Parts: sequence; structure tokens; C-alpha cells
Amino acid sequence: MSDKQKNIDLNLEIWRQKDSRAQGDFSTYTLQNISTDMSFLEMLDVLNEKLTMEGGEPVAFDHDCREGICGMCGAVVDGIAHGPEPETTLCQLHMRHFKSGDTIVIEPFRSRAFPVQKDLIVDRGALDRVIQAGGYVSINTGGTPDANATAIPSATAELAMDAAACIGCGACVASCPNGSAMLFTGAKISQLSLLPQGKAERKERALSMVTAMDKEGFGNCTNERECEAVCPKGISIGNIARMNREFVKASFF
Amino acid sequence: MWFLHFIQSSIGKKWIMALSGCFLILFLCSHAAGNATLFVGVSLFQAYADQLHSHPLIVAVFSSGLLLIFALHIVTGILLTLQNKKARNRGYKVQKRAKIRANSQASATMIYSGLFMLLFVVLHTAAVSFGDHASIGKTIAEMFSSFAISIFYIIAFMVLALHLSHGFWSMLQTFGVNHPEYNGLIHALTFIVPVFFLLLFSSLPLLFLFH
Ligand code: FES
Repeated sequence: MSDKQKNIDLNLEIWRQKDSRAQGDFSTYTLQNISTDMSFLEMLDVLNEKLTMEGGEPVAFDHDCREGICGMCGAVVDGIAHGPEPETTLCQLHMRHFKSGDTIVIEPFRSRAFPVQKDLIVDRGALDRVIQAGGYVSINTGGTPDANATAIPSATAELAMDAAACIGCGACVASCPNGSAMLFTGAKISQLSLLPQGKAERKERALSMVTAMDKEGFGNCTNERECEAVCPKGISIGNIARMNREFVKASFF
Repeated sequence: MWFLHFIQSSIGKKWIMALSGCFLILFLCSHAAGNATLFVGVSLFQAYADQLHSHPLIVAVFSSGLLLIFALHIVTGILLTLQNKKARNRGYKVQKRAKIRANSQASATMIYSGLFMLLFVVLHTAAVSFGDHASIGKTIAEMFSSFAISIFYIIAFMVLALHLSHGFWSMLQTFGVNHPEYNGLIHALTFIVPVFFLLLFSSLPLLFLFH
């Protein structure tokens, strides 16, 4: 236990919604003695334990790895997707960033393409369908090639890796005033089109992934840059610019 | 077919906004160059206007082209605003920007600053472009000697600068111009371009007001 460890009291305002068709509204809860060493999700665990003991319905929220790599978790905390810390997923956000007596407002990711299933859980299947449209390579790769058989400049590999860091959590969509998924799609298109293995299908990929994205009802990007600011993996909007180039090239040439 | 598909896509619509915006900026440049004759004197400006209108074909081609580009920019802008309102179906209880930038206000209010520019353009063309060209110099001089009209023009130029402070950068981003090596320059231009047009255009009413 760290020296700075202390306990805080919190007021929570959480969006509660029975199912996808229910109206939903905010409920208020208070929690005492929350350790600042807890993660945000652990704090919600404590709340859920309390609610269960009292015979109430626990707050439903998505999570899996709890180490910031799977992209399952996510909610809007005090108006910011994944909470106030930059480049941090909700599961990696710690309670030391809050003060005793704080009121924390917790809302689900909002977008027409992300219908709320229950409480803080939203259906992000739309992102999966964008991936299914072309976020892969279908060339035969054969046996394991020698590591250095395909030469890739280090700078290019780094750019591809930066784009590949996207965990598909959907915070970009949730934070965008237009509910646009262009940072996600841009990252996925970039990651593959930068590398020789992905170049073979770059044209079809750009066309079909953008078409799939539009079909899901995501909004149109107007370059607000909110996505980049909340992205837990720090994905740059340079990837959206690259997608724009890829799409135009694929459409015209 | 592929072209229809392109302009109907989200990226295609961004391109229409950016491309028409680019032409509108070029128009602003040529307009500012024409205005610059006023710094020398009303008579030179009148001579420039007379020269221009002695080529009715050029005037007709350019003004109808301009009208088309304007319409494209406005219609697509309104369409985007409506579609985007629908995509973000429900707001948050706590509305907050994750990162406040100097021009965050500009990006959030493009539709309003844009519609104000439309109002300005309608009034301005009604008063000047569709007025008597033979005495356009005199019209301008008379208009700007009124304090209220001058202030209205200066406010409109400020709104234009606000619009450009998001528009210019946004245009480059849409064209895919985003590179660590040039982002510093692009960032600087984001402020230089609107301020340049603001100073150039508002100096005219100020010139007449204090002359
Ligand atoms: S639970 Fe896996 S990233 Fe948060």
C-alpha cells in the first residue's frame, strides 16, 4: 500500500436503463471510504456489491482485461470518454484523480450507431461490421516467413504500429460531436495500407470499409479533433488524413 | 456511378466542403486584390470596376461559377449538420470538450458563422454588386461613411475570420495534408490566414470612416 493511500467519499450519478427499449434515467448513489488506489471499475465493483447486498440491481458495465488492452471497458465520466486522464482507459483510471466529496456523473457512450443495451453497456457491433468489411488481409501467407524477408522501413513500421494500437473501444465515436467513427476506421485502414502485406488489397479495403462505416449510421467527420483527445491509445488524426487519401485514390484511380 | 458513390460518402462530402471552400478562399484573394485599389483612391477602384465590366462574358462566367460553388458549400454544409445531429442522437448530461483549443468555438459554430456569412453576402451583393456599376466607387464611399454600416461590415469580417480559423485547417486535413514535418507551418497558417483577411478587408471601412 502506498504512503499516499487514502480513502475518499463519493457521490455518483449513474445512467440506469433496464434494456434497450426502456427510457432510462440517472440514479444517485453515495459511496464511503473508497481507496484512492482502486481503479474506476473496482470502485463500481464496490458499488455493485453494496447494491446486491441491499437487494438492488447492480450497475451493468462492460469490462474484460482491466489492463487497458482489450477495449471492452468505457463510459463517459464527467463529460469525457474514459474519464479525465489522457491516454487512459476507464479500467486504468484510478480513484486518486478524484477528491473526497466529488460528484461523478457516469453515462454510457452515446451515438445512434451504439444503442444502449443496459445501463452503461452499449452495442458496439457496428465497429465489428466495419472490420468485417475489409479490416484484414486475405492473401495467402504460406509458411512462417523469415523475419527479415520483407523489408519494411522502421519509420513505416512505427506508423503502422501506432495505428494498430487502436483497441476499438469506441471512445472516438462517443466523444465526437458528430458521432463519427473516422478515427477508428482511419486507424484500421492505415495499419494495413502502410504495410506490404496490406497493400495488395488497399483499394478494395478503403472503399468497402468507408462504405460499411457510412452504412452503420455514424456521422460525418468535421475535424473537431475530440476523438484524438480522448483516445486511450493516443491515435492521431493523421490516420484520418491517410484514410481520406486512401479513399480518394481508390475512388478515382 | 463511382463518382456518385464518392460524393455520397462521408469522405466525399468532406471533399465537397473542402474543395468549394478552397475556391471560395481563392475568390476572397481576388476580391481582396480588387479592393486594394481603394487604398490608392476611389477613382482607381472605379476604373478597375469599369475595366472588369467591359468584359461581360468574363463577369458572367465567373459570377455563375461562384454562385454554383457557394450553393454547393452551403447545401452540403446544411446537409452535414442535419445528418450529424441525427448521428449523435442524444447529448450528454455533462457537456465538455476533452481539449479546449483556441479555435474550438469556431469548429462548433461553423453552421452559424456560415449562415451569417450568407446573410452578409446577400446584403452586400444587393447593395453593391447589383447596384449601378458606373458609380460603384461612390456607392462604396457613401456606404462606409456611415458608422453603422462600417461596423456591420467589420463584424461580418470577424465572423469570416472565425469561420476560416476552422475552415482553412479543416480543408487541409480533408485533403489529407497532415504531416509532422509541415504541421507546425499548417498550425501557424490556421491563425495567419484568418487574420490576414480580417485586416485586409476591415481596413477599408476603417479607412473611409477615419478619412
Ligand atoms: S477492460 Fe480491457 S481495456 Fe479496459
